[in-house]
Amino acid sequence: MITQERKKELLLALNKLEAYHQIQNEMGRLTAAFNFHDRDQVLSHFALEKEDVSLEYADEGRFEGPEAVRAIVDQLIGGEAKPGEMTDMQLTTPMIEVAGDGQTAKCVWWCPGAGAVTDEEGAHALWLWGQIAADFICIDETWKVWHLHYFRFIRCSYEKGWVEDLSMINRANTPMHPMSLPTTYHNPYSPLSIRDGVPCMPMPYETYTAADRYWELNRDKR
Amino acid sequence: MIWTMEDLELLDDEEFEKLEKRAARLMSLWQIQNLRGNAAIFHDDQHIGEQRRELNAVKHPGVDVKSMREQRLKPVVDSLEGNTLIHPLTTPVIVVDETNTRARAVWWSLGIEGLSRYRETPTAIVSIGMVPGVHVIEDGQWKILWGAWQRTTKNEYHAGWTRSMIPTNTRPPLTQEQDRAGFGRYAYQTDQVRCAVPWPPEDDTWEKFPDEMSPDWQMTHP
Repeated sequence: MITQERKKELLLALNKLEAYHQIQNEMGRLTAAFNFHDRDQVLSHFALEKEDVSLEYADEGRFEGPEAVRAIVDQLIGGEAKPGEMTDMQLTTPMIEVAGDGQTAKCVWWCPGAGAVTDEEGAHALWLWGQIAADFICIDETWKVWHLHYFRFIRCSYEKGWVEDLSMINRANTPMHPMSLPTTYHNPYSPLSIRDGVPCMPMPYETYTAADRYWELNRDKR
Repeated sequence: MIWTMEDLELLDDEEFEKLEKRAARLMSLWQIQNLRGNAAIFHDDQHIGEQRRELNAVKHPGVDVKSMREQRLKPVVDSLEGNTLIHPLTTPVIVVDETNTRARAVWWSLGIEGLSRYRETPTAIVSIGMVPGVHVIEDGQWKILWGAWQRTTKNEYHAGWTRSMIPTNTRPPLTQEQDRAGFGRYAYQTDQVRCAVPWPPEDDTWEKFPDEMSPDWQMTHP
């Protein structure tokens, strides 16, 4: 006789497989919206109904809560898109771990990318490489971004390359956004930086607890 | 946990059919990714006339099979030596319809090329773009109904994408204007705001856009 437990196991496996796919789609849509400079579409993928929704972007600081997430998204892509500007981040190397209870997921992507900025001299091509660590949460059968951290790894002039041009790896020494909280981790490539495996790979887990927050910064590789 | 035939026989027909349908749609996601991966290999391998498996749907009434096959027999370079197109697929968003017979998808890509038209020293190229498309089941297998490369950049390596845009290689060669009307329609331009096309398909794409031949879904802001 097949037990209820075994039926549950099968359903959980199918639910997890569907969740992997839905999360990959959602993150793909969010990335496309970011590249297309569409503030509202980017925000539509965040769990803004959660008080502890958050976004940390490179060394711009942590932004916690719906108001703060809106604020940093506004700062990043809220203005009018300008002719000649381009952001083209892409998602590769997905590592998606859906919780045993099926309610949350811990995820990492590696993100090669290209871009362009403009100034009075014209348009300048950039390399934009980084990683994304994200927690997703399932709300009303839709997966949304709960916490997202973009780790900048390379931001440099295309012509000079990442070894020679270090002028853009850190933010300028200008006032931080008033809603920013201290950055948790920022270690872009430079000739003197030492890379460590952050964000780390998500490991299997049953239920997301307070102790899981910032799992992506775990440097213990065991 | 390993499932056996005995386990499955204990499910009633309705339970079994529901699981079968969900599993089949999940399998389709892998098959479509594999199909487009195979197409990326063929995209790079331009041996004219060589026998190869057919990846495109050829029985669908919307497909002009004669033109498609004629196009494949037109050489655009004198020699295959030095020519290559490596367009890795990233950022997948795939939506399979409820009948598990049609699927829309968009991938992004950051790739490289080598181009030698007349046996000259090849030009190194950085090539960024997207692959939007529709896929259908034909003779029990997923096939490409339509959708190929959409260029964002195709630049001479040293010049970068803000100073170089190489037209699609054809014979006779395209003018910049002809190229802009074709593969380069949505390509990066230093004097224009980026065009937000293609939007990845939403979960309700097949309800909103039931016609598989229509390109409207990728042009429509969610």
